[in-house]
Amino acid sequence: MYYYIMEPPSTRAVRQTYQRLRDQLTNLGIAGEMMAASPARSPEELATMGLDRGYSTIVAVGGDAFVNNIAQTVIGQAVLGIIPIGEAQQVSELIGTNNIRTAAEFLKFRRLSTFNTVTAEPESLIFLDAVIEPPRMAKVSFVIDGKLRGYAYFNKLTVTRNLEIKIESQHLVEPHKILGLFSVGGTVIRSESQFHGRAVRLTTEPELALLVRGQPLAKTPVQLRLNPNSLKVITKRGSIL
Amino acid sequence: METSGPGTTVGVNVALSGTLKDQSDISVFGMVEGEVISEKSVTIGQSAQVKGPVKGELVTISGVVRGAITASEKLELLETGKIFGSISTKNLVIHTGGIFVGKCEMPTGEETVGEPEVEADLEPSQANSEALIPDEE
Repeated sequence: MYYYIMEPPSTRAVRQTYQRLRDQLTNLGIAGEMMAASPARSPEELATMGLDRGYSTIVAVGGDAFVNNIAQTVIGQAVLGIIPIGEAQQVSELIGTNNIRTAAEFLKFRRLSTFNTVTAEPESLIFLDAVIEPPRMAKVSFVIDGKLRGYAYFNKLTVTRNLEIKIESQHLVEPHKILGLFSVGGTVIRSESQFHGRAVRLTTEPELALLVRGQPLAKTPVQLRLNPNSLKVITKRGSIL
Repeated sequence: METSGPGTTVGVNVALSGTLKDQSDISVFGMVEGEVISEKSVTIGQSAQVKGPVKGELVTISGVVRGAITASEKLELLETGKIFGSISTKNLVIHTGGIFVGKCEMPTGEETVGEPEVEADLEPSQANSEALIPDEE
């Protein structure tokens, strides 16, 4: 039997969706224990409760950040099921649908895929893309696998569960002025970089937060470590990882 | 199972030092001081400056490389490219405007074909010399 943890509904429509989902799960014969997260009971606490009760599959019902939080508790101890609701673009792509009925059917058929994850030390988990977006261009220094050092200026830095570091920046080169009157030139220079490794240290100036869907996960300086094939997730059969 | 990494790209505003190694493609548009090694292709873009050896299967140079380049299949130096160092490759293309200062080594299949022939020549003579050894009895 599955143990469902639901994100607190943000709107009345989401509440109604939860009710429909309950009915669908019952019809599919996979209704299990359902718990709703709240300010008093965090998703991590509920996931721990589920594990303590012996559930081997914990289903996160909610958006990207919520699913990432539950994955952090579940990893290495149980299979993660996902029903995407709300801001759930990443998890929808991951399991292969954004439709709750289809996602519920995936749970019934239980095709397992194994995913890499990243630990942001000491203990935060990156299962879905984590992002650093400073208000203005910032500097990041990085060390990859202890053998490659570098720095860059960036507007956006993304860390994926495969420990790929994507660094994006764009800045305007000042236009030249002729006789102090006419502006000539002025081009936007865009830069995109991508690295990957098994252990990466990131340091930014200034210190910045690493966010999953706006929810802080860690703060720089941060040591990141790849956990290969560490999380089992119920997905669409043959989904691309 | 997860797929392998999608490769490495060093953007314009990135500076690196150390060994940049990847099983997939590597593209460099920034500055690298150290080795650049790929099992597939290495592209050194027009804005790139590399100080160190570059190794790859297919290597394309539009920027500046100061160091030895080894391309196991093909090396292409484009019109904006500059190489200051020795190169080793089977196939070399230098476009008009490309600058190359250094030694060039081009291992060809002929050399490897030729070697066995020499050995083949030796074998009969060895056989003959054995035949010339007088029978002790």
